[in-house]
Amino acid sequence: MRANTSIRVRLTIWYGGGLALIMIFFASALYVVMSRALQDEIDRSLDEAAVAASRSLEEHRFGPFLLLDDLTQAFPELALIDKFFQIFGPQGQVTLQSANIKTRNIPLSQSALQSTLQGRAIFETVRFHDEIPIRLLSYPIRHGDTLVNILRVGASLRPVEEMLARLVFVLLIGSPLAVVVSMLGGWFLAGRALRPVDTITLTAQRIAGGDLTQRIETTSKDEIGRLASTFNDMIARLEASIRQIRQFSADASHELRTPLTITKGETELALRKPRSPEVYREALESNLEEIDRMSRIVEELLFLSRADLGEVQVASEPVQLDALVQEIQLQAMVLGKEQHVETTLGKVEPLQVLGDEWRLRELILNVVDNAVKYSLPQGTVQLGLTRHHGMARMTIQDQGIGMTPDEQRLVFDRFYRTDAARAHAQKGTGLGLSICKWIAEAHHGTIDVTSTFGQGSCFTISLPLLPAASVA
Amino acid sequence: MRILIVEDEPKVASFIRRALEEESYAVDVCSDGIQGRDLASEVDYDLIILDLLLPGLPGIDVLKAVRDAKVATPILILTARSKVDQRVKGLDAGADDYLTKPFAIEELIARVRALLRRASGDTAGILQIDDLVLNPISREVTRSGQHIDLTSKEYALLEYMMRNAGRVLTRPMIAEHVWDLDFDTFTNVIDVYISYLRNKIDRGHTRELIHTVRGSGYTLKLTDV
Repeated sequence: MRANTSIRVRLTIWYGGGLALIMIFFASALYVVMSRALQDEIDRSLDEAAVAASRSLEEHRFGPFLLLDDLTQAFPELALIDKFFQIFGPQGQVTLQSANIKTRNIPLSQSALQSTLQGRAIFETVRFHDEIPIRLLSYPIRHGDTLVNILRVGASLRPVEEMLARLVFVLLIGSPLAVVVSMLGGWFLAGRALRPVDTITLTAQRIAGGDLTQRIETTSKDEIGRLASTFNDMIARLEASIRQIRQFSADASHELRTPLTITKGETELALRKPRSPEVYREALESNLEEIDRMSRIVEELLFLSRADLGEVQVASEPVQLDALVQEIQLQAMVLGKEQHVETTLGKVEPLQVLGDEWRLRELILNVVDNAVKYSLPQGTVQLGLTRHHGMARMTIQDQGIGMTPDEQRLVFDRFYRTDAARAHAQKGTGLGLSICKWIAEAHHGTIDVTSTFGQGSCFTISLPLLPAASVA
Repeated sequence: MRILIVEDEPKVASFIRRALEEESYAVDVCSDGIQGRDLASEVDYDLIILDLLLPGLPGIDVLKAVRDAKVATPILILTARSKVDQRVKGLDAGADDYLTKPFAIEELIARVRALLRRASGDTAGILQIDDLVLNPISREVTRSGQHIDLTSKEYALLEYMMRNAGRVLTRPMIAEHVWDLDFDTFTNVIDVYISYLRNKIDRGHTRELIHTVRGSGYTLKLTDV
């Protein structure tokens, strides 16, 4: 079967071919069984006739000249049947034969003579000069151990042949017709079954043309329905990730545009006319800041896109969280020195989680750094670590500027910056908390924030405890 | 000529301000949409440079509010978005021109000059009263073909007076258009600068161009002798 013929054609051909084979087998079997049955029927009637005739002969004491009229008188039913009788002498010469045999000469065959001499009856089928085949029964009539006569009963096989011919005719016309009709049915059914596939193909072509909003309409739960819904799921994920990529690159180019504007503007301004070394120095320092900012954006973008692709490895080792929190508290004291922001420890329970110490440190430090950055001078940041519903719950509470409910909702989104963050002298990339969220989720944990505008925010990081080794 | 910059990114606002000050414009900067809207409506600026992405109030709303307050000052919008619809929205809301970040500083200055020229109804670009000629592009000033050296402030004052030639300009008007928000109006700085200009422009010429209007202020015009 060619690869490019449609499934519908192939199904129909296989279906038709299979049915044709079954029909051929069935017809042959039917023919054989029928012809055997019909012949058996003939043979049985011949046998009955022979038995009746031989009994009649016995009654006549084996008189050599048995009149057929007597026989038909004794057994009237015999005359009605298309049968003829012959009686041969022990040497095989015809002594008597029924009138319906007419002038036809039907000699006794050698094998029949041999068989009857041995006392066995024998059936034969003979055909004379392309005429109608005849079934013959040669039946020995014995007196004691001596063969007295050979009785032969014959019948035409014409009715059998006619019956079989009619059967063959019916089979030859009927079987192809049945095959053709069933192939048409198969063609129709295959078409019906495959129509959803055509729909899927059309939709897929439209999707390939760039329209990712297309979906296959399906309500059925059969194989095709499952294929369609799988296909729809795949397209939905594809659409989502393409939308994400578009959003991401739009955001990225937007974020890089501001530092680029500054670097370009500062440089062009410095080059407009000769300046003092101090002015050049300031321009270069400003540019360096912006270049650092751009590299940070690119670096964090790369991290997030690698994380999205599942290429970031996260180790899975026991991490002593309380030690980590204490260590970060010391770092935060340094970070807050300039603003006189103090970082204190609240209740810190010894807790262990399974994870990547390096990433967890990045996560906590990022949040703590934010808390210090947006604290008011003389403010306090308090760190806590407690066990809560089988999770290690870390809280970072500041007394800073706080966030509006809208800002709290969006603060973990990529490139989102609150108004305060945008106005802040120390420019962030807008990606820090997105990375925190990713790290928390990579550890099967969560990060949330509650905040009151103007009064401070509290970030909560929840991580699953290490089951066996956790110390209460 | 006094310009307001409404831009939340301090470093962007800073280099634009320095570039414009080098061109002798008086420049005010604010970083918030609401403050920007109020300043633009209250102070008679000659030009406003407006970023569209602002905290407080989006740039597009500032634009609409300013135009609703019947302020006809030319407005140049800055947008970080390369999207056409954003610019179209800005222009439809009443902006006169736009620049997409990052931009070339020379282009910004040229567009500022073009907008100011159009606003003063002058098409040639070169200002001339009698034989006093001021070229805003090269910032060159000549009288009877003779080059006159001016400081940045003197130049700004002369340009403002030439753009408003024939009009009586009060001291507050001069202060508002030539000096920025930090200017203390209770000093006689304006009179001092007028006398500097007189020395450089009118001294040695038979036809005086700068006149004092007693009790009101000053005017620059050619008086019939």
